[in-house]
Amino acid sequence: MQGFALYPFNPPGDVAALRAGLRNWLAVNQPQGDIVSRANCWASFDADFSRALGAAGYVGMTLPTRYGGGDRHPLERYVVIEELLAAGAPVGAHWIADRQTGPLIVRYGSEEQRQRYLPGIAKGELFACIGLSEHGAGSDLTAVRTTARETAEGWRINGQKIWTTGAHFSHIMLALVRTEEGSERNAGLSQLLIDLDTPGVTIRPIIDMAGHHDFNEVFFDDVLVPHGALVGTRGQGWQQVTAELGLERSGPERYLSSHALFAALIDAAGADPDPAIAVLIGELTAEMWTLRQLSMSTAAKLAAGEDPMVEASVVKELGNAFEQDMPRRVQAIVNCGWDDTDDLARLLRALLIASPSFSLRGGTREVIRGIIARGLGLR
Amino acid sequence: MSSAREMLCDTARAVFAEAATAGIAPVEEAGFALLLVQEEAGGFGGDWGDVNAVLQIAGVMVPDLPVAELIASDALQSAATVSLMAGAMGEALALSIDHVNTRQQFGRPLGKFQAVQQSLAVMACEVRAVEAAAAALAARLDAVDIDPATADFEIAAAKLRANRAVGIVTSIAHQVHGAIGFTEEYDLHRVTVPLMRWRGEHGNDAYWAARLGRQVAGFGGQGLWEALTIRSDKSRTE
Ligand SMILES: Cc1cc2nc3c(=O)[nH]c(=O)nc-3n(C[C@H](O)[C@H](O)[C@H](O)COP(=O)(O)OP(=O)(O)OC[C@H]3O[C@@H](n4cnc5c(N)ncnc54)[C@H](O)[C@@H]3O)c2cc1C
Repeated sequence: MQGFALYPFNPPGDVAALRAGLRNWLAVNQPQGDIVSRANCWASFDADFSRALGAAGYVGMTLPTRYGGGDRHPLERYVVIEELLAAGAPVGAHWIADRQTGPLIVRYGSEEQRQRYLPGIAKGELFACIGLSEHGAGSDLTAVRTTARETAEGWRINGQKIWTTGAHFSHIMLALVRTEEGSERNAGLSQLLIDLDTPGVTIRPIIDMAGHHDFNEVFFDDVLVPHGALVGTRGQGWQQVTAELGLERSGPERYLSSHALFAALIDAAGADPDPAIAVLIGELTAEMWTLRQLSMSTAAKLAAGEDPMVEASVVKELGNAFEQDMPRRVQAIVNCGWDDTDDLARLLRALLIASPSFSLRGGTREVIRGIIARGLGLR
Repeated sequence: MSSAREMLCDTARAVFAEAATAGIAPVEEAGFALLLVQEEAGGFGGDWGDVNAVLQIAGVMVPDLPVAELIASDALQSAATVSLMAGAMGEALALSIDHVNTRQQFGRPLGKFQAVQQSLAVMACEVRAVEAAAAALAARLDAVDIDPATADFEIAAAKLRANRAVGIVTSIAHQVHGAIGFTEEYDLHRVTVPLMRWRGEHGNDAYWAARLGRQVAGFGGQGLWEALTIRSDKSRTE
């Protein structure tokens, strides 16, 4: 990792025009809604908004045009999603399909899978969820026990996933399952694309500590899916998932989830802020600016076909810390009651409660630090 | 890195090696004062990316010599210090990795212990952040003809970010080294003591945080995002 330089962030075309076009579109089409839904907005579900966004060409941007995508450069997509997040747009419905399921199907999927799923993803109408975690397989994903047995009719799936964000509104799950009987650890795992309306699939809500229904338990009871549900190579599920996680860790959502709170703090402080609040704003700005550089550089590296596993983990680690620190520091300095109804107080409470999850989902802090340490040549 | 910049860095390493014992004279003789002077005016015609690269090396090899003062004007010293700090932090990390991979306790290298690994991961994140800040500041300065007034936001953000990394980087580096890192003989203090000094020079945390905070308050909540994107889109295209 020595001698790190920033990878140049050079999307093709006129970036300023791309931003301006999207900002104008949002001015007309972003639902006003509750201010609190602008925080952590990649968990805000709004199917109508996703469809409108897709129709405007802002979903599935990098997918090939023959599957309904926009064939745009990944860094153009990056510009679009950072704008959507900064604006607090409700992108939760299509978020996972757009961010990782679509690209993964392009990379590993069969022609049939591409034709079947990508057009819906690009329209902002087909939603996806990630089936990795199980009761016994959290940080240690190699402990996955959900099985899929190949039969004459197709794959028979039995087992259970948990913490599956958005399973209740998703059409498909990309699941990591054990396809080889008796296999252990990271061998014998494969990825299957499962239509969630298949008989035998049961989805049960888990209410989180904020009182929201975002994640679920998903049960598979002798679920039969076609042979064509296998994604990529049988037995290569572990390698494919690892690549997928790289897409997941370094995006602008790792530092912009709390942007609504930061903006509210700045507005509440006014043009001539209290000195202590000015210091806080300054420190948060320095961190945010730096994180943005790191995230853009990592995106540029990904776009160039490299595998910046360690850099992506650095973005996640620093971004999570920034976003957990922010509400705590705002609370420490701004006098607002827990039940106050002004924007700042409500955003603050929402993010204080949401923030413990930031360093759990997408790889825990300890797991991420372990990846970085390995990148340093330790272990 | 371009080959011209690589050659520049090789020269810097050779000259700084001499300067480490002889003082600033070899640096002056090698013409580093002309690094930013345009070629038409008889200079090297370098940009701030070159300055950043050279000063990162200076921050490791000759932290006590006034190399930054030789190259850049007073108004650019805070920017220059960010590069010195990035270099010194990279060295502190390299020394720490090397040490934990060699030093054995309880029958294993220290680097095999998870607590040590996690500490070094935290440190590495800080070092990456400061290196990124130095590089992004360089990109901005080069987009605005190295005018510190136009890069005021980036100078403030980068120096503040570098300052805030000092405590974490120096404390973890010393912690994983144990007593050997606290000796005059061992090299670690050659980078950690300058880091402690640079944190307070050319604007400490309070100074830059207040300045940057007031500037951002002037932008307003939505204006901050607009300012960030306008400024980076400009660094990109020019
Ligand atoms: C909001 C939210 C959304 C999620 N969405 C999804 C989803 O859509 N799909 C999905 O598959 N999963 C999802 N997850 C699950 C998430 O990936 C797991 O929570 C995560 O992998 C950790 O697993 P666990 O919760 O079982 O914790 P555990 O693995 O039991 O870990 C508990 C603690 O122990 C630490 N720990 C564990 N092992 C070690 C070790 N070897 N060394 C040091 N420390 C260790 C962990 O870092 C953590 O701090 C979601 C989680 C949350 C909170």
